[in-house]
Amino acid sequence: MLIRIKGAHVVDPANKRDEIGDLWIRGDEIVAPPDGGAEADETVEANGLVAMAGGIDIHSHIAGANVNTARLMLPEQHRAHANRPAATPLSNVGWSTFETGRLYAQMGFTTVVEPAVAPHHALHAHLELADTPIIDKAILTILGNDDFVLGLMRSGEGATAIRDHVAWILETTRALGIKVVNAGGVAAFKENVRSFSFDDVVPSYGVTSRQIVKALQRAVHEAGVPHPLHVHCNNLGLPGNVETALTTIAAADNLPLHLAHLQFYGYGKEGPQGFSSAAPRLAEAVNAAKTVSIDVGQVMFGQTVTISSDVLRQFSARGQARPKKYAIIDGDSNGAGVVPYEYRTGSFHNAVQFAVGLELFLLIDDPWRVFFTTDHPNGAPFTTYPEIFALLMDKDLRAQWLSRLPKDAVAVTTLPSLTREYTLNEIATMTRAAPAKLLGLPNRGHLGAGARADVALYRPGKDIAQMFRAAALVYKDGDLVVRDGAVTHTRFGRALHATPAVEASMQRRMKEYYDARYGLPSDFMRVPDGAVGRPHPFEAVACAR
Amino acid sequence: MSRRDQIGAEAAAFIGGAPASLEDAAAAAAQLLAQSGQPLIAGLGADIEGARAAIALAERLGGVVEHMHSAALMRDLDCLRETGVMLTTPGEARVRADVVLLVGDALLQTWPALNERLLRPPARPDGVDVTRRIFWLAPEADAIIPGFDGDIEVIAAGLGATLAANLASLRARAKGRPVARGQIPSPTLDALAAVLKGARFGVAVWAAARLGALELEMLNGLVRDLNETTRFSTLPLAQPDNGAGVLAACGWMIGFPMRTGFGAGAPVHDPWRFDAERLVASGEADCALWISAFGAPAPAWRGAPNFIALSERATRFAEEPNVRFVVGRPGVDHDAVVHSPDAGTLVAVTASARSGAPSVAEVLALIAACLEDASHRAC
Repeated sequence: MLIRIKGAHVVDPANKRDEIGDLWIRGDEIVAPPDGGAEADETVEANGLVAMAGGIDIHSHIAGANVNTARLMLPEQHRAHANRPAATPLSNVGWSTFETGRLYAQMGFTTVVEPAVAPHHALHAHLELADTPIIDKAILTILGNDDFVLGLMRSGEGATAIRDHVAWILETTRALGIKVVNAGGVAAFKENVRSFSFDDVVPSYGVTSRQIVKALQRAVHEAGVPHPLHVHCNNLGLPGNVETALTTIAAADNLPLHLAHLQFYGYGKEGPQGFSSAAPRLAEAVNAAKTVSIDVGQVMFGQTVTISSDVLRQFSARGQARPKKYAIIDGDSNGAGVVPYEYRTGSFHNAVQFAVGLELFLLIDDPWRVFFTTDHPNGAPFTTYPEIFALLMDKDLRAQWLSRLPKDAVAVTTLPSLTREYTLNEIATMTRAAPAKLLGLPNRGHLGAGARADVALYRPGKDIAQMFRAAALVYKDGDLVVRDGAVTHTRFGRALHATPAVEASMQRRMKEYYDARYGLPSDFMRVPDGAVGRPHPFEAVACAR
Repeated sequence: MSRRDQIGAEAAAFIGGAPASLEDAAAAAAQLLAQSGQPLIAGLGADIEGARAAIALAERLGGVVEHMHSAALMRDLDCLRETGVMLTTPGEARVRADVVLLVGDALLQTWPALNERLLRPPARPDGVDVTRRIFWLAPEADAIIPGFDGDIEVIAAGLGATLAANLASLRARAKGRPVARGQIPSPTLDALAAVLKGARFGVAVWAAARLGALELEMLNGLVRDLNETTRFSTLPLAQPDNGAGVLAACGWMIGFPMRTGFGAGAPVHDPWRFDAERLVASGEADCALWISAFGAPAPAWRGAPNFIALSERATRFAEEPNVRFVVGRPGVDHDAVVHSPDAGTLVAVTASARSGAPSVAEVLALIAACLEDASHRAC
């Protein structure tokens, strides 16, 4: 079947296309316009619509044991969901995997990365992703607080062993990349350490956070994994933590490194409350460090729940829980904390956080290196994305929002002075072209021939948020799944995973290690094709090695 | 031979106690469910595939999802959703705990591997030796753990309200607060409080099946307090019959735990209203589909509503169910994903004695297909 999407405003920065034109879809692929005026089987009149590749979210906590703990902790947050027509299975349930896929698709997003899965919970995460309809998805697996890697470093085994372990973990847990969370800090918390910085030493192992980040950065690079090490820095959320972020950026040393939710590290100690925006310094450092990419982790106001593997941070924040309950988990070589939280417009701190995120978006000049996230649900639920697009594209709207925030908070930021407005092309770069490049997905994020036919068509209007909230049409693999902002039918996508070369010697070694340490077979965390209960649930992503 | 043929070859199904084909039994079950005003899907001793199929079926029927160990599960869950908890895993407790506080009885029944997994510290590959002190508050009468040759310091502390009061006293002493003289002698109480406070990484272990809400709240509160100065966590033992796995699947599929009903269109979670025992005793549920693939005994429901059972061949019933299916055991007869109490997470298990006995998910799929046909009047 050949589909012609006719007369759309095609915004495709990867192919330097920003013009009125056609898109052709055959099967699940974008194809070149057929020669000799071949007729389409179906022509979609797209006059006045904006066409972009399906959106790609590189960092959104949508699945896995910790997300599920949050769901079960907060039954009161499901109540508000109104009944909808029962057009799709489980369409009337609240915060669920089914709802997640539906809501993402309606915004024109077609690929989402769950960025924090402990190795032992990989199967659980993949099961949830398998029940998340429409979108493709992937996980990042967490290393860097685990006894095995820290043990390798303590014994001075060197880079090859860590590289081989990274490859083994990626294959076993079927992950697209590796994340490190408060490197060393989570392990240190188990030994009652209550604060942990980049050059602090992990008790019992004698290695610093810096050494862990550097070792894993190199290991991921040398294993040929397209996505660079994904770093959640130390000292999240603390006043003055911009120094931690700047130190970490400097440590990248011209190798690729991705820093997650940088907004949470953009704080100085100035101002009446000893809490201020340090976003300009941070943006300047990012602009200068060409191998560093970041995502923002924008804060928006309202009730949410913070879900983080940075258990040290979450433990410290437990007193701010709203409602007053929390889960603090010392996991296998990992950690997790779930702390409900409400960002309030009247709060000095929350207002500064809101501003810092937008400052980073507006002050980092290269849309190929700044990624669009709220660290869902930590800064805000992903359902706030449309409002954030509107804020980025409209300085007057920003001024309106600022007018209702505490003036002394706004005064310790530079946001009122920033007049930049994102273009559609920059939005498409940040949410389509750049993520595909960052994750190593050459057939996504663009609309050129050979690309997967994931296409979102939006109806532009004065209300930018409405445009992005309810896509006019969304195709997933060439299959129309959304019309006028509503899912028309359910299908299931795949989990993308990197496939580096795995050494047999590491397999043997992990078997011995798991047997000795846990008395368990090392493959208990494996994710067999047949285990997740969907046909063709996985898709391999090539590695350089 | 196709999987479908394999199912046919070794399956057994019964209608009114008389042998029937799987297809006929599925059609009969579908008919009972379709006629029902308030269907109940209970027991739910199933692997993840079975749980997913059961939840989807309940949604479609406007029925209720329940699990045989919900009462105990809910008591632990209530601590999470009312006050907050600190948790650790069997693996982390095994390699790290220097103090283990066992609380209450039924620990071994809930987790037979308690001794080999947790009480005997492993020789750690990193050479760091863990010395482990073990206390058992309110154990069963003999407080013996087969195969364990180390010391367990036993403290009688009663059960129920007595245990709750003793835990409250312990929590108060750990905070340095005075308490009225209770059942446990003050020196014993203070010594234990001192050990807990002095732990480097302590772990409290219990089975919620035998502890009440008050005891659990006190235990979680004690652990929260201890973390003001040291590290301490908890290991509530996972309920059998894949209770933790089914809870997880409920969480991600519907946002709520079991004891959720779909009759109102959207899911409603109500731990009292959707308690299976109450629904059956009150007559509110007029058709129960009961699942037990791990060998748990059948409920003693007499004069019960229409009753469809999925269970092992050997399961005995007070009254023969209207429709009965013999299903395989997950991880034995067929590959499965279940929550492993040893790993503390969901794991894929390869069949240890693969057979043609159908899985819960396969039987539910047959029933669901008949429901589809029934809506076209073809079945």
